[in-house]
Amino acid sequence: MQGRSLSEVASNRFVSKAELNVNFGGMRTDQCGPLTAATAILDTLNSKLPKNFNSSTVIETSTMTSLKRSVNTDPLSSNLSSKVYVRSTKSGKVQKIVREVYLRQDIPCSSRLCSNCLASAPRSAAGVVSPFVLSDRPAGTKAYPQGHYLVPDTNALLNAMDLFEQGSAFFDVIILQTVLEELRNRSLPLYNRLIGLTKSQEKRFYVFFNEFRLETYVNREQDESINDRNDRAVRRAVKWYNDHLGQTKSKSIPVTVMLSDDRGNLEKAKQENVPGIRLRDYVSGLKDAERLLDMIAESQERVTSKEKKTEFFYPEYFSLSKMMTGVKSGMLHQGMFNVSPYNYLEGSIKVPAFPKPLIILGRDNINRSVDGDVVVVEVLPQDQWKAPSTKIIEEEAITKNENADNDEGAVDVVTEKERRALQEEVKKTQGQTTEGRPQPTAKVVGVIKRNWRQYVGHVDPSSVSQTARQGRKQESVFLIPMDKKIPKIRIRTRQAGELLGNRILVTIDSWDRESRHPVGHFVRSLGELETKAAETEALLLEYDVQYRPFPKTVLDCLPKEGHDWKVPASTDDPGWKDREDLRGLLICSIDPVGCQDIDDALHAKPLPNGNYEVGVHIADVSHFVKPANAMDMEASIRGTTVYLVDKRIDMLPMLLGTDLCSLKPYVERYAFSVLWELSPSADIVDVRFTKSVIKSREAFSYEQAQLRIDDASQQDDLTNGMRTLLMLSKKLKQKRMDAGALSLSSPEVKVQMESETSDPIDVKTKELLDTNSLVEEFMLLANISVARKIYEVFPQTAILRRHGAPPKTNFDELANQLKVKRGLELRFDSSKALADSLDACVAEGEPFFNTLVRIMATRCMMSAEYFCAGTQSFPEFRHYGLASEIYTHFTSPIRRYADLVAHRQLAAAIGYEAMHPAVRARGRLEAVCKNINVRHRNAQLAGRASVAYYVGQSLKGRVAEEDAFVMRIFSNGFVVLVPRFGIEGLIRLRDLAEPEPESVFDAEEYVLRLSGSYETSVELFQKVRVRIRDVKDEATGKRGAKMELVRAV
Amino acid sequence: MPLDTSTYDLALLRVDGRRWNELRRLHGQIRTQAAADGSSYLEMGNTKVMCVIAGPSEDAGRRRAGMGVSASGSTAPGGSAAADVVVSIVVGGFSSVDRKRRARGDKRIQELQATIAKALASNLHVHLYPRSTISISLHVLSQDGSLLAALINAATLALVDAGVPMTDYLVACTAGSTSTHSAGDEGADPLVDLNTQEEQELPFLTLATLGATDKVAVLVCETRVQVSRLEGMMASAADACKGVRKFLDQVVREKGHKMVTEGAIEKGASMAMDIDV
Repeated sequence: MQGRSLSEVASNRFVSKAELNVNFGGMRTDQCGPLTAATAILDTLNSKLPKNFNSSTVIETSTMTSLKRSVNTDPLSSNLSSKVYVRSTKSGKVQKIVREVYLRQDIPCSSRLCSNCLASAPRSAAGVVSPFVLSDRPAGTKAYPQGHYLVPDTNALLNAMDLFEQGSAFFDVIILQTVLEELRNRSLPLYNRLIGLTKSQEKRFYVFFNEFRLETYVNREQDESINDRNDRAVRRAVKWYNDHLGQTKSKSIPVTVMLSDDRGNLEKAKQENVPGIRLRDYVSGLKDAERLLDMIAESQERVTSKEKKTEFFYPEYFSLSKMMTGVKSGMLHQGMFNVSPYNYLEGSIKVPAFPKPLIILGRDNINRSVDGDVVVVEVLPQDQWKAPSTKIIEEEAITKNENADNDEGAVDVVTEKERRALQEEVKKTQGQTTEGRPQPTAKVVGVIKRNWRQYVGHVDPSSVSQTARQGRKQESVFLIPMDKKIPKIRIRTRQAGELLGNRILVTIDSWDRESRHPVGHFVRSLGELETKAAETEALLLEYDVQYRPFPKTVLDCLPKEGHDWKVPASTDDPGWKDREDLRGLLICSIDPVGCQDIDDALHAKPLPNGNYEVGVHIADVSHFVKPANAMDMEASIRGTTVYLVDKRIDMLPMLLGTDLCSLKPYVERYAFSVLWELSPSADIVDVRFTKSVIKSREAFSYEQAQLRIDDASQQDDLTNGMRTLLMLSKKLKQKRMDAGALSLSSPEVKVQMESETSDPIDVKTKELLDTNSLVEEFMLLANISVARKIYEVFPQTAILRRHGAPPKTNFDELANQLKVKRGLELRFDSSKALADSLDACVAEGEPFFNTLVRIMATRCMMSAEYFCAGTQSFPEFRHYGLASEIYTHFTSPIRRYADLVAHRQLAAAIGYEAMHPAVRARGRLEAVCKNINVRHRNAQLAGRASVAYYVGQSLKGRVAEEDAFVMRIFSNGFVVLVPRFGIEGLIRLRDLAEPEPESVFDAEEYVLRLSGSYETSVELFQKVRVRIRDVKDEATGKRGAKMELVRAV
Repeated sequence: MPLDTSTYDLALLRVDGRRWNELRRLHGQIRTQAAADGSSYLEMGNTKVMCVIAGPSEDAGRRRAGMGVSASGSTAPGGSAAADVVVSIVVGGFSSVDRKRRARGDKRIQELQATIAKALASNLHVHLYPRSTISISLHVLSQDGSLLAALINAATLALVDAGVPMTDYLVACTAGSTSTHSAGDEGADPLVDLNTQEEQELPFLTLATLGATDKVAVLVCETRVQVSRLEGMMASAADACKGVRKFLDQVVREKGHKMVTEGAIEKGASMAMDIDV
C-alpha cells in the first residue's frame, strides 16, 4: 500500500458489484486481489476478516426530520479496516480486542490555505462546520522562512509538554491521532494537558485523525515494532500534509515539519524526504531559545522503556521468622516508620540501638511502608550513609504526570525525576561537617504491622480521563490524601466524574510489589471540597474522631429526670452518702468565655491559724457514669472531647457535659473536692479528698475574674478569696519554675467568628492573663496531689501521666543553630538548665524571638502520655515539662476519660466506693491508656487543623502582609512562622521568581543565598515580611495559605 | 488503547472513524440454511447474528416450557386464535471478549427474547395462523454493540425468507449521544449504530420502526440520558432505521433476483416485485 500512489488507490476503490458478490457469497477465507489495495489492515492477526466492503453498503442515514440538516459526505469515501490489539487483564488473562476502523477521505487538513478540504469538511449534527485551525500564514523560522506547521511525535510531547504550552512559540501544531493515542497510554495527565491546548484558540493546535484517513493510514508490517509503525505513520502524515498543501494555489506554502527526538526516525525521514528536525535543534532556532531550551528534559532520546519492563517495583519482604531472628540478633531493627513532612521520599525510624533516628531514603528503601507502620529495617553500609535532606520534595510536584491506569507494569519503581531530586541532594550535602554529616541510613525489609486507616483526600483531577469525568466507565484514578505523608492512593472507580472536587474517604487495600502506589478503594464522599461540613467531617475522620451521635444505649444510661435532675433535697438520700456539704463555701469557677462544660471550681478562705484553706472542686462525673456501662464504653472509646473552632465533639452526652455535671453557678452540684491547707508560702500542710455537694456562686470568664480582682473597690469575700488564690498561685508557680518547670510555647490563635453566619472574620493570638495561670496552678496542684494519693493506694494500677525527658540528641540541632546564629548556648542536661537557657534566649527588640525558640524547643520534646503505674519504674514517672515527679489528670472528667478513671480510683482510695473490676484490671487499663493517648493526640491535631482551616478561611479573598520568622531552611526553600496567625508556611524558591533563582545553601551557617533572578539571602531566625494569600491550587484542588516573600527584614 | 469517545468533538469522528450519522458496514444473507423454513445471517459491523425460523407450524400439544419467550396476538383458552411467536436466543460463549457461559435463565437474554417476541407478534399477521407457532431461534456469533437491533433485523430477514406475512420490515438501530448524562452538553451530537465501546461510555437507546415509517415498535433505553437529548437520539435512530430498511430490502431483492436468474423461481406475472435491482 505504501508504494501506491493516491490515484491508484482511488481507482481501486470502485469495486464492481460482481466481484463483491463473489466475495461475500464465497467462504471469504482470504483477501482477493484488487480489494486489498483499498483495504488497510493494521494487524496480521486478522487476515481472515472480510477485507473490504462495498462502499455502497455504507448507508448514510439522511437528515432527521426534526433536526433539519444534511451532510453531503461522499459515500464512496469510506473504507474499512480493523484494529486488533491484545490487552492483558489484571488476573493475567489475555484479551484480544477487535475494533473496526473506517477509513475515509473527508478528514480535513484544517489549514486555512486549503479550499478543497473546506468544501468537504464534516458537519456536526447541528450542521456546523468546525472552523479551520491552522493559520494561512504560519510563523517562519531561520530554517523554514516560508512558514511551517509542526508535527511533534510522542516523545517530543512527553519530554517537553511545557514547551508546547509556551505563549511565545509553538503555534500551528498538528497533533496526529497516532501521537495522541500513544501519549494517552503513556501519561494521562499529559494527554489531558494536550487536549486543553487543542481547545485554546490562540495556540492553533489541530488534531488530525491520520489513522482514519485513507491516505495516511499505515499497516503494521511483519516484524515491525509498534513504535516503528507509529513513527512511520507520523512520517506518512507529514508527507501527506506537504503533498496536500502543495496542491493549493497559495504562493508561499508552509512546510509541515516533524519534530522528533528519535534519531532513527529522523534519519528515515531524511531518506524519505520528509522534513524533520530534532526538538532541541528546532528550539535553538527560536527567538527565546535559551529559556526554552531549559524546559526540555535531559533524557529525551528515546528510551526503549517498554522492553525492559521490570516485573516488580519493590524488593520482596523478608519472611516473618527471618525478621524476628534478625531483630533478636541485632542485625535488623524494628520501629515505627515516619515520613518527613517536607520530603515524601525520606523517612526516619527510631530504633533503640541508635541514638539518632535512622534515615530511610528513596522509594526503593522505603519499600511500601506508609507513615505509622511498624517496620523492620536493615542498616545500609556506611558508604551509602547520607545526610538528612535539605530539600523540599513534594510528591505532587514530582509525580503529577503519572498515569493511574498504567501504574502496573510501568518502567521502574524510582522514576527518573525522583532519582534526580534525590541525586542533587547527595551532591549538595557532600563535604559538610555538622548538619550535613552523613547519618546511618537503612532500608525497610519487612512490615510487622500496617497502621493503615481510612484516609481522606481528593481525586487528582489530572489523573481522570475525559470520559470518566462524564461517564460510568471504570478507571483508575489517584487520590491525594490530605495528609502529605501518605502516598497517593490508586483507586478504581466508576464515578470519577462525580468524585472530582469532593472530599472523599478511602481505605488502602494492599500494596503489592507490582504496584508503584498503594491500591485502595472508595468508601464514601463527604461532600464538596471547601464546604464547611465536608471539611469538618474530613478533619474528624482524618484524626479518627468519633463524631456520630450517641447511640440509644448510651442515652439510656442518663438519669431519667433529664434536665430536671437536682441534687436531692434530703440529705438522707443515697446520693448524699458520704458526701460533705460544702454548699456554704464561696466557690466560683473561672473558664474561657462561653464555656459550658465547667468541670472545675475553686475557693479559698483564711484559717484561724494564718494558713489558708483552698479547695478545688471537680465535677463528679463518676457519679453519673458508672463503670462498664454503655456510656462508659462509649466515653472510653472517644477518650476526649474534641474542640474545633466551630464545633465541639463531646465525650459525654450533652445532658451531663453541659448541665448535670457542669458546675454551673447558682445551682447545687455533686463534686469531687480536693481540700488543702496551704501555708502563706503555699506549702501544703494537709490535703484531703472528699465527695461533696457544692453551689458555685459565680461563673467567671478569665477576663471578668481579672477585672474583679483588679477592682480595688470590690471587697466581698468571694473577690478576696480569688485574690488569695491568685497570691498563692503566683507562689506555686515560682516554686515550680524553681524546680525547673518549662514554660513552653506553641503558637495559639483564636478565630473570631461572625455570630450569625459563623464565618471566620479575624484571627487573634490568645492573650494570657494572671487568672489563666491561677486556674492552671491549682489544677496542677490538684492533679499532683491526686496522683500521689492514687499511686500510694494502687501502686500497680494507678492511672498516671508522664512526660519523658527528651533524648539529648533531640536538642543538638537547635543548640547548634542558636550557637551559630545568635551565639546563644542552649543547655539541656536537665529541665532546669533548659528552662534557664531558654529564658536567656532573647533578642534585642524582638520579643517574639524567645517564643520562637520555645516553639522550636517544644518540637524537640517527647509527648506526654498516660500510663498505668505498674508498667514503669518510679523514676520514669517524672513529668519533664512540669518538673514534677508524679502527675495525673484529674481535673477535667467531663472532657477527658483519663480523669474519669482517676476519679474512680480516688473514690476507691478514700473508701467512698469499692473499686469496680474494670478500673482495677491492669490489662484493661493499659488498653485504655493506649487508646486515650492516641485520642488525646488526635484531638489536639484536629483542633489545630481546624484552627488552621479557619485561619485560611478568614484569609479568603484578602491578602495580608505580616511579619514572619524563618524556622527552617532547605536548599530550595524555607519555612516561616507567622506569629499573627500562628501558621507556618513554606516558601519555595521557584515561587520567588521565574526562573528559579540560583541558590547556595550553607548548611553550617544556616544561610540560603539567592542570586540570579532574585537577589537576597535568608538565614535562620531571620525576621521577614511575607504576603499571605489564600490560594486554591487548581491542579490539586487544595486550598491553603500561600506565602510570598516581600522582603527580608 | 485507542482513544475514547471524548475525542469526538476534536474532529467529529467517532472511535472507529465514522461520522455521527453513519451506520457500520452492513452485510446480510438470506436463506442460509436450506433445511429451515427461513434463515438469515446479518452483520452490523462486528456484531454477527444468525436467525433460523421454524414454522408457522401447528401446535403439537403444549410446547415445552422454557424453550423461549412467546407472544401471541390473543390467547384464547383451549387453543390460541393466532400464532404464537416464540423467540429463543443463544449467545455463543465465544461471542464476546471474555469467554463466559451464560446461564439458561439469564435475565438479560429473557428480556431480549420478550422484547423481540412482542415486537414481532404485533408486526406479523399472526391471525392467519391460528393454533400454531412461529419459532424464531437467534444465535449470536459475535458481539460488538447494537445487539438487540441486529437480532431484530436478522429476525425480520429470516421471517421474510420464511414467507410469514408482515406489515412491513421491522428494522432497528441504536442511537446514542456524544455527551453523557452528567455532562449537561445540550448541543451534543447524536450518534447512530453504536459499537461496544460507545455503548459502554455513552447513553444510548435501541429503536425499532415499522419500515421507513416513523412508527416505533420497540424503544429500549437502559442508560440515563437527559430528556432534552432524547428527541435528537430518537430522530436519528429513526433515520438510521430507514437506512437499515433500505439495506434489508436490498438483500431480499438481490436474493430474489438471483433466484429468478438462476431459475429457482419462475418469473411470473404475479411477481410485482421489480427484480432489476
